[in-house]
Amino acid sequence: MKIPAGLNITVLVVASCAFYTYVGQLVPQKEVLPPAEVKISKDITTDEMVKIGHEIAQGKGLCLTCHTIGKSGTLRFPDLSGIGSRAATRVPGQDAIDYLAHSLYEPDSYIVPGFNPGMPKIARPPIGLNDQEILCVIAWLQSLGGEPNVTLQTRHMHSPAEGATP
Amino acid sequence: MSRRTQILLAVVAIGAFAAVALKVGLVILNSEYRSPVRTQAAAGAPGATETDIETPRDLALKTLAEDREARDKARPYQEVEYRQAPVFPSRVVVWVLAQLHLLFAAFVLAVPMFAFIIEAVGYVTKDPKYDKLAHEFTKLMSVAFSMTATFGAFLTFALIALYPKFTTYLMHVFSPTFLPYVLLFFFEAGFFYTYYYGWGKFHPIVHLSLGVGLNVVGTLIMFIANGWLTFMMSPAGVSDSGAVINAWEALMNYTWMPINIHRVIANVAYGGSVAAAYAAWKFLGAKSDEERAHYDWMGYIGMFVAVSAFLPLPFAGYYLAREIYAFNQALGIMMMGGAFSWLFIIQAVLIGNLFLAANLYLWLGMGRIEGAGQFQKMIKWLLIAIAVCFAVWATPRSIISTSSEVRGMGGSTHPVLGALGFMAAKNTAVNILILTTYVSFLLYRRTGKRATVSWARAGNAAQFALFGLSAAAVIFLGVISYFVDAATRIRLSVPQVLAVLVAMVGMTIIDIFMMRGAERTGKMHWGRLPALSQYVLVFIAITFTWLMGLMGYVRSGLRQHWHVYGIVRDNSPDAFTPTLGYATQIVSVTVLIFFVLIAFVFWVAGLAHKADWAPRAGGERDAGLMRAGS
Repeated sequence: MKIPAGLNITVLVVASCAFYTYVGQLVPQKEVLPPAEVKISKDITTDEMVKIGHEIAQGKGLCLTCHTIGKSGTLRFPDLSGIGSRAATRVPGQDAIDYLAHSLYEPDSYIVPGFNPGMPKIARPPIGLNDQEILCVIAWLQSLGGEPNVTLQTRHMHSPAEGATP
Repeated sequence: MSRRTQILLAVVAIGAFAAVALKVGLVILNSEYRSPVRTQAAAGAPGATETDIETPRDLALKTLAEDREARDKARPYQEVEYRQAPVFPSRVVVWVLAQLHLLFAAFVLAVPMFAFIIEAVGYVTKDPKYDKLAHEFTKLMSVAFSMTATFGAFLTFALIALYPKFTTYLMHVFSPTFLPYVLLFFFEAGFFYTYYYGWGKFHPIVHLSLGVGLNVVGTLIMFIANGWLTFMMSPAGVSDSGAVINAWEALMNYTWMPINIHRVIANVAYGGSVAAAYAAWKFLGAKSDEERAHYDWMGYIGMFVAVSAFLPLPFAGYYLAREIYAFNQALGIMMMGGAFSWLFIIQAVLIGNLFLAANLYLWLGMGRIEGAGQFQKMIKWLLIAIAVCFAVWATPRSIISTSSEVRGMGGSTHPVLGALGFMAAKNTAVNILILTTYVSFLLYRRTGKRATVSWARAGNAAQFALFGLSAAAVIFLGVISYFVDAATRIRLSVPQVLAVLVAMVGMTIIDIFMMRGAERTGKMHWGRLPALSQYVLVFIAITFTWLMGLMGYVRSGLRQHWHVYGIVRDNSPDAFTPTLGYATQIVSVTVLIFFVLIAFVFWVAGLAHKADWAPRAGGERDAGLMRAGS
């Protein structure tokens, strides 16, 4: 019995779609939710800021989408391990907090040799961290090989003017 | 009792039962409690009947209705941010409609491009078969044109209904483009119908000019629509809060031109594949050798168009990806290394299949040419090269593994194969795939011919050298990419692409001059091809359509929880990024709907070849009925 070509084509269309759908089920299935807002109370300690900073780096801040911690070899972006101790030595006359703050607010100012510019300004959309969240990220970065000393009251070169509305 | 009497009695019984049920219902409804005081009061009123008496329930309902009316009248106007579509999530509705609109639009934009080129070839060569073929391709457009417009309108209404606030914002930004868009659409319709219905009615130059007009206007329409969608991914010309600063900058944003280039090429590749599928369908249903020969040739031309556009497509895709990185690194990383990175493994399977199928079609096509034996021997080497490249491309950086496998590998990355997961390996693999497919095409082109020029030997050697040098350069650059810093590695992909392009252009130029006046050593038998080759053509069209659906998803999904990246946030219940498994299900459903609709388009286009309706022998009664009805 000769099977009509139309039927063969229909089976081919359905089978091909089924196959590609099956391939789609074989890869890791991850649902990405919009980043949750982080609540930061005014009397937070530096240790708590480190924890919150780590959460932000993994989520809303997207830091760990590009940067690695403890990897070497062919990297696309600088590895962050040891940044807490290196930060104070990068620019003469600039302490670790100012260096890290400037790297987050104006990332193109400091490009590590061998890497391309391209990090977005963290305080601007779409990431859009606020000043307090950025202080928490600085605390977390300081903790990577250094001793964090930042608090929510710490002022740096990008802090809003005294009395300004945050 | 006869059967007719039984039916009559049954009808009467059902009618009687319904009348009794109605009466019982009315009695129950009218037997609501009525206070005796009210009944007496109402009874005294002139002309009052029992049904005019208001019960306590009636009064309560009346009060409620008055309250509702008062509330409705006092309610202030509020702009709705989102509405929910019935049955399906709003996002899925818009997703499927947008994809269907895009698939038909791509087809409608592509067909005139190659119809025009084929018609021009016919005019230059004075061969009427090209003109006939171009006309046949254009017939497919007529119904597809209406489908495009219908789905465009459907999508617009869905956006207005389901995402009113966001749609209003887009209208606010792009309102200056609406009038040109509508006018261009009007001109496109004018050009298209004149081009289609005017076939053979004008001087060929006039008709070809109409084709140019149709293509120019169609491309401009696509460019405007591309401005709207690329703005959502890489907004420009607006303030941080979305206020319009410059509408032209918004239109011609960062990813606008890369998408324009990518879409023009992809549309041609896709349109060619769908047209080839049409030819395959007609070939499989052909009744005569002549018909088979015609549709074999048509399928070959469609396939030739598809492969010709498909070869530079990865370069255009690379340019687009590069510009996405340049616009926003986080967006680029999200695409290639974040939530969407595994999507590119699915893409590798699709593109690998496309390359395999395209090569298989060319190899099967050699069978229609006498004296193909010498080239068919080389197929196994080409197949090995394609299979190796496919495997490299589809190798992920990290793999899903059990805890014991992770312990065995010393991490989630395989110690050897993990190295193939880097972009350097992927770029190398795709460049070699392109080069191999090109060689397949070159072999097919030379099957059954022998160069007669005096420098044929040197020409062959030069072609071989170009191929070898290009392949060596691609592999060398791919390997050293592992040992240089990130900035250098990214730059190295450009000479890789250039090596392949230079080789393809160089080999083509040599081939054109070398095969001029070539001696025919074997006859071409159009139509003498196994049915498998035609199913390969259909498979290519399915895979292309599916690939377009998948890439449409990543382009749009990349924005994640933003309608306009960084400007207008998505606050709808669908703001999350679904799993890839779910996305592939939606893509498959869309592709299946599309194929049902395109089958309808093919069927309608095929009606033109059918004989006119005439009453069957002995069918005077039918004909008489038709006359009476008319």
